[in-house]
Amino acid sequence: MTVEGGVQYSKIAEIKGPLVVVDDVDNAAFDELVEVETKDGERRLGKVLEVGNGKAIVQVFEGTSGLSISATNAKFVGKVMEMPVSKEVLGRVFDGLGRPKDGLPDPIADKFIDINGEPMNPEQREYPKDFIQTGVSVIDGMITLVRGQKLPIFSGSGMSHNLLAAQIARQASVVGTNDDFAVVFAAIGVQYSEAEYFRRSLEESGALKRSVLFLNTADDPAIERIITPRVALTVAEYLAFELGMHVLVILTDMTNYAEALREISAAREEVPGRKGYPGYLYTDLSTIYERAGKLNGKKGSVTQVPILSMPSDDITHPIPDLTGYITEGQIVLGRDLFRQGVYPPVNILMSLSRLMKDGIGEGSTRADHGEISNQVYDAYSRAQEVRALAGIVGKAGLTEIDLKYMDVGDVFEKEFLTQATDENRTIEETLAILWKIVSKLPKNEITKIKDKYIDQYYKGE
Amino acid sequence: MGRRHVLTSNSTLESTIDKILQNTENSVLSNIKTALVDSQKVLDDSIPKLEGEYDKIIADGKKEADKIEKQIIGSADIEARNKQLMALEDAVDKVFTKALDQVANADRSGDYSNLIKSLLDESTQILGTSEIVVSSNANDKDVVQSTLSQFPGSELSPDTIDCLGGIIVKSKDGAMTFDNTLDARIERLKPLIRKEIASKFGVGE
Repeated sequence: MTVEGGVQYSKIAEIKGPLVVVDDVDNAAFDELVEVETKDGERRLGKVLEVGNGKAIVQVFEGTSGLSISATNAKFVGKVMEMPVSKEVLGRVFDGLGRPKDGLPDPIADKFIDINGEPMNPEQREYPKDFIQTGVSVIDGMITLVRGQKLPIFSGSGMSHNLLAAQIARQASVVGTNDDFAVVFAAIGVQYSEAEYFRRSLEESGALKRSVLFLNTADDPAIERIITPRVALTVAEYLAFELGMHVLVILTDMTNYAEALREISAAREEVPGRKGYPGYLYTDLSTIYERAGKLNGKKGSVTQVPILSMPSDDITHPIPDLTGYITEGQIVLGRDLFRQGVYPPVNILMSLSRLMKDGIGEGSTRADHGEISNQVYDAYSRAQEVRALAGIVGKAGLTEIDLKYMDVGDVFEKEFLTQATDENRTIEETLAILWKIVSKLPKNEITKIKDKYIDQYYKGE
Repeated sequence: MGRRHVLTSNSTLESTIDKILQNTENSVLSNIKTALVDSQKVLDDSIPKLEGEYDKIIADGKKEADKIEKQIIGSADIEARNKQLMALEDAVDKVFTKALDQVANADRSGDYSNLIKSLLDESTQILGTSEIVVSSNANDKDVVQSTLSQFPGSELSPDTIDCLGGIIVKSKDGAMTFDNTLDARIERLKPLIRKEIASKFGVGE
């Protein structure tokens, strides 16, 4: 923060979509913050996208509607966009640009941090291996989330991903340590009712005091969505690496972020890539997802759960496709399960947490966790095959063991997967249900679990 | 003959009835015994189930109580914090208002002309031209006018501006403006000044 202000330019050459082209500009810098002033004195924020030949292209976050070439001024502030941070941000609700939305004053800042963050030094990164309990059985038991991991939820339009996101935000905790835990929740382009639901849900559960909310609603300018995940991650990094907290960042919905990126790219007349998204979509997404992790010598961690709704449930769509390259696994919500009324409708056969193996087991969850999880995965997979077979030959044509696997599939979906939105299960409760499922099978079908665990936990005949 | 037959029949009947009664009694007793054993078994079996359900109800109740406790404490914490923030903001605003009053009524002689000179220096340097039009408030017009003699190419705007002090500098072609009023400088530094004031109240130290 400097005492010097910036120069205000009044020669606007062109206004095109979300972009304003300013003429005769000296000394503007890439990414520099710009205050665009309308003829009514209204100020909108923007940033410099390109400079050269005396021109600067400014992307206006709050949109360009109502701006005219003759009566618009652009003030180049002389710094990049910064987010004021302090511990006081906990329990607060901000808009998509980081301005208070809860009727309270700006938080007293401890620091002003560039929202683009600083890339983590790969040498300084610590391998994530500590368990985060979400209280959602299917995640804790089968697709375990680890502190410092980036684990996206791939959903589809209309599915219950927002319910799941709010439930994770309310319930998530670190087990076996007294370290502080915080949730940073960024809603990107969500409906007003959804934003209200997130706010109320955290408020009523008492989880708001350890949370920070950034709400960019669907009627806010699309361009603001470019900033929302960045301000949220800036706050998360501060809480994690300056204050030593374990921070879970939930970003929903990243598809809206990518749409905003496409809008700017089209306005800049860039050569479009797949489905019209810019060719740098992968690089851009990585500047967000790579802001998760743990650092050597620092106590805190940033864990990311970005949520994206796949257009037409298409997992090969560029957004989930490119996200999957960067993140460490994925949680996929299944349309079939959703239609059956299962909540959360997680399709475990398509889901994976790549870091799960390092975050579970003795000392983290329980020694038998990995093996029981593998066995249930295997059994559910077999149950799906048997269901398909039953669709052809009928139930009467199935063997006794096939029928047991069908039973396993039903119990898995009805008792393990299905969970109330306010039901917070401990890891012990989750593991107990997993053993109940495995106990439906005869012992000779259990091939992935050591005998000592079978003797200890198996409850079948 | 017929009479004897009746007697014989009566005795047979009695014996048959006795037999039936005996059998029924045995059967009823046996049924009662079995029922007793069965009910005892059901009772024995249901005890651990009941105990389990009892434990579950207690555990669920405890969970629910914990949840409600968290909700109440969380809401109370947030409410208290919000009230504290509003009170702090109120105090900071009062300090600010008082400070701004002092700035507005500060003595315009002596050092003030040096301040205007340094603001003009800074402005011409940032705009990159000395061909400028300078605006000030009505009180500062004389001080600014006298300082402008040191800046060839500059002129004082006939229009005055509404501000605490300082100047607004515009390039003569009107393309660039630099707001170097005290108001703008204070606004730019406001977050830092707020932090400084808040620290006096013991917040954010």
